[in-house]
Amino acid sequence: MSATANFFVHPSVGFFALALILPFLSGKAWKWLLVVPSIIAIWSVMTVAPGNYGELNYLGQVLHFGRVDKLSLIFAQVFAVMSLIGMVYAMHVDDKLQHIMACVYVGGAFGCTFAADFLTLFIFWEFMSIGSTFLIWLARNPISTKAGFRYFMYHTIGGLFLLIGLLLRYKAVGNFTFDAVAPAHMMVYDWMILLGFCVNAAVVPLHAWLPDAYPEGTVTGSVFMCAFTTKTAVYVLLRGFHGVEALAIAGTVMCVYGVLYACIENNARRILSYHIVSQVGYMVAGIGIGTAMTMNGAVAHAYAHILYKGLLFMGTGCILYAAGTTKLDKLGGLVQRMPWVMVFYMVAALSISGMPLFNGFISKTMTIVGAAEAHRTWLAIGMEIAAVGTFVSVGIKLPYFAFWAKPANDKMELKPIPTNMYVGMAMGAALCIAQGLYPDMLYRYLPFEMEHVYHPWTTWHVLQSLLLLGFSGLAFYFMRNIITPHAKTNLDVDFFYRLIGRGVLALVSKPLAWIDDRWTEAYRAVGLSGLLTLARGTVWFDTKGIDTVVDGSAYTVQNVGALGAKVQTGRLQDYLGLAATLALCVFAAVWYFA
Amino acid sequence: MSLFGMLLTQLRAWRGVIGVLFFLALAGLVVANVFIRPHEAEFVYDAYAGFWAVFGLIGGLAMVIIMKKIVQPMISRGDDYYERNS
Repeated sequence: MSATANFFVHPSVGFFALALILPFLSGKAWKWLLVVPSIIAIWSVMTVAPGNYGELNYLGQVLHFGRVDKLSLIFAQVFAVMSLIGMVYAMHVDDKLQHIMACVYVGGAFGCTFAADFLTLFIFWEFMSIGSTFLIWLARNPISTKAGFRYFMYHTIGGLFLLIGLLLRYKAVGNFTFDAVAPAHMMVYDWMILLGFCVNAAVVPLHAWLPDAYPEGTVTGSVFMCAFTTKTAVYVLLRGFHGVEALAIAGTVMCVYGVLYACIENNARRILSYHIVSQVGYMVAGIGIGTAMTMNGAVAHAYAHILYKGLLFMGTGCILYAAGTTKLDKLGGLVQRMPWVMVFYMVAALSISGMPLFNGFISKTMTIVGAAEAHRTWLAIGMEIAAVGTFVSVGIKLPYFAFWAKPANDKMELKPIPTNMYVGMAMGAALCIAQGLYPDMLYRYLPFEMEHVYHPWTTWHVLQSLLLLGFSGLAFYFMRNIITPHAKTNLDVDFFYRLIGRGVLALVSKPLAWIDDRWTEAYRAVGLSGLLTLARGTVWFDTKGIDTVVDGSAYTVQNVGALGAKVQTGRLQDYLGLAATLALCVFAAVWYFA
Repeated sequence: MSLFGMLLTQLRAWRGVIGVLFFLALAGLVVANVFIRPHEAEFVYDAYAGFWAVFGLIGGLAMVIIMKKIVQPMISRGDDYYERNS
């Protein structure tokens, strides 16, 4: 960018401001305001010069709102772009609360991105948690209500780990500065903070909130959620914990775990949710390996992922909006009725699969090649296996069973899809293809200096990707009758969360119930007669005490009133005399006490 | 139905031809792999032609068979097990 500003308009401000004024606007014109904060945010991150902006003294602590450097800027940039796409996609929604919560959520994500201390980070972290919970609840059905509560509980626990960690850290080091830790010298509090971050990054086995909650969010809310929560976590991991070996392993486990579950899922949005776990796995692994190339790969993949995952959720959102379900066993044969939804979905599906021409190709390969160059062969192989599974599930299975599998479906009632939803998808699709064709669009913003520039568009990379994906496709062809989705609930580790939840509930409620029983008995025996005695006492107090006082004060007021009436004679001289007396009294008092 | 929708419907009628083209393309890719090899092998075996073809095919087959035939019967419950919109 040619013009650089030496001041910084924090992108959160626009979103929070919009959230505050939306309730007071009427008519329909307010819908155009939805895109304004995003446009301001894009302008802001494209023009601001790196530096530290905006500090605030609060309760004896300095909050740092504006750490602007290459790392925070590239994340803020894609957040801004995605918020614009998401807002356009959501423009038809009349429910203002959904927009308000989306604003709170997105504003929180920007706040986290630019926060330079843990306290600021924590505040915005919780804003995100609240906003996203509402985006689930606002689907307004019993299932989403329950899912929202589970989601909120889980994120609150994650937030508490972060809080405990940052407080312990403050006690030990005396400040809240948020910087990278030395992986070899991590203390207990560092691990606590890491754990808090890992909850939001959906690191296996802390991931189950994601496929539990995201499929139940509103059509437009899930588009926002799939972009911001996990990627904000990726950003803070990258900032604070790069090079931590545990993350390299955990990330690769995520890659494979996510695709395995996606393989057997039936709900389209749950398939995509498991693929968030898988794709974020590439980023977490890249961060854990910690070379400039794998970290740049993580950043690039986060950028590309936000765009194509948003588009995937927009596509399946259209199916949910029109057909009322995303269960694959109930769909099929929709291609001629939703051709453009299929096309936009496929752009995203090929992007996530890493097909040449699309942006996943230029980002995913970077992390994998980086892992191989860092001699982490097994990790790289894990990521390649995940690539196979991604293409099988998201690239073929989902669209095949939603759009093609059955004969043309003319009976299913479909609600017409608003134009703005198509516009949002077209914007996402255009960016996915543009980045795939011109990798430099993305690479120029990458924050870490690399020894040699990575070129994705080599003959070998293209051939390798086509071989891998082509033959994964062949595997699907052979397996198409086995992989047919079934309406089942697949147990994940949230089975254990629920077990723990029930255990805690029993632990708390059983002793409480016992105490309650005993208390009731004791109350009957002692309390009731005591209460009667007390009542008698109260009656006595009422007649003797209250009545005396109240009646007494009433008589006093009456007498004072009579006196006042007498004093107000209506004669000027009396008033003058009174005023002079009063003035003298005041003068005497002042003279005496001063 | 839109013109574009009809075109896509027509693709169903041509699926035999599309299948043949797909197999030809796969064969073409393997042949190309004989001549085009990586400058530096990432792993030991990917220096051989056809490694990634075998990797994709076996990986895909194994994943589907293991997950759908072995794992899912063990971990799946009824659709309303958690009373959620599974």
